[in-house]
Amino acid sequence: MAMPGQLMFARRLGPTARLTIWLLIGLSCVVVDVRYHALDGLRSGFSLLLQPVREVMRVPTSVAAELTGFFTRHRLLQKERDALLVERAQLQLGVNRAAELVRENAELRALLQLQARPGQKVVHAALLYQGHDWFAQRLTLDQGSGAGLRTGLPVVDADGLVGQVTRVYPGSSEVTLVSNTEQLTPVFVERTGQRGLAAGSGHGQMELRYMPSQTDLRPGDRLLTSGIDRVYPAGIPVATINRVSRSQSSPYLRVDCLPLAGLDRSRGVLVLIAAPQVTAR
Amino acid sequence: MNVSARTSGSWRRILGSLVLAILLEQLPWSGWALIVRPDFVLVAVLFWVLHRPERIGFGAAFFFGLLADFQDGAVFGQHAIAYAIGVYVVLYLRLRLLQFDPSRQAAQMFPILLGVQLMVLLVGWLAVNPPAGLSILIPVLSSTVLWYLVALFVRLWHGKGAQDRA
Repeated sequence: MAMPGQLMFARRLGPTARLTIWLLIGLSCVVVDVRYHALDGLRSGFSLLLQPVREVMRVPTSVAAELTGFFTRHRLLQKERDALLVERAQLQLGVNRAAELVRENAELRALLQLQARPGQKVVHAALLYQGHDWFAQRLTLDQGSGAGLRTGLPVVDADGLVGQVTRVYPGSSEVTLVSNTEQLTPVFVERTGQRGLAAGSGHGQMELRYMPSQTDLRPGDRLLTSGIDRVYPAGIPVATINRVSRSQSSPYLRVDCLPLAGLDRSRGVLVLIAAPQVTAR
Repeated sequence: MNVSARTSGSWRRILGSLVLAILLEQLPWSGWALIVRPDFVLVAVLFWVLHRPERIGFGAAFFFGLLADFQDGAVFGQHAIAYAIGVYVVLYLRLRLLQFDPSRQAAQMFPILLGVQLMVLLVGWLAVNPPAGLSILIPVLSSTVLWYLVALFVRLWHGKGAQDRA
């Protein structure tokens, strides 16, 4: 089987030796990455390399979306416009009331000499890429440290909490979803005010942990962020309770929840950046 | 045709197909398409290891494995180790694999691709946490189908029939 250009006698290492060397390199990569988190530079390098490619490869789907949008029926658009006008009128009422409340709240806070609430900046980000959710449920966004993002910031969409920024590169960032098994979210039940800890359980679902079996919980209850962790602002919707079951062996309830945010549907999200606290004296 | 022209031509094809595989992987996959998405880069790398082992080997496979790790936001080394093992098995069975027509070759590639994916599973399990379900094994099937299509295409391209005439 001698081919032209191929040596008759091997002068390089055999495949087994080379496999062993690469396995050792691979294992050291794993150890260095998991134990010492020392490979973030390599990650930013890959991110710089792949960022333009991802931007370009997003074009086919956006063109397809444009085309389907172009052929939407005129009647449908009119109907949607009417619905939106009604909704705007209702929201306007709410806004007026909220403005009134903000003024009143500011006055009361001034009376109580409390700190003004830290202001919030919002950064729009579009979903760039979704990785496999075998071990870590993650999304990649098209905004990075250039837009003021940093690790730990909450990410929301129109329906609820999506997750938390966990890695930031110059032009993109990675979000760990609330359905990740290692992601804990402090929440309270909207109906009763009961505080708890919601954790991801994989498969795009969540569970409410350590709820004593006499707790008042019903399917359909909404969970909101409680804000005691000082990471998430209070009151962002997180999930609805799907099923509550008691087990004989455990003193706690098993509470399955469904995240409210479109974890695998939403194409655009908001990143909430809390402005640094100003101590007003 | 002299040797240098032929080798540069094969380099062009190898790099072209690998770049195509990376581009396909970078499409914004989501939902079901993401779950059944074949591992384009792995299939491309193993294909060239089978047909041009003097060009694409452990180093390239390891690099593309690191790239796959970055894509999934996984631990660095998870896919790289698995890809290197896949390359080793393909090199070991190379002469045998080259004898078969596309459908049988794909059937022989299935356990290799499965082994690679199980390695990804194992390393992720040991290094991070237990995986969420066994949906990690679905891409093995689609990768096998992809391998069959690629092998069939190459064979028809070279003007041979789809099946071996015994």
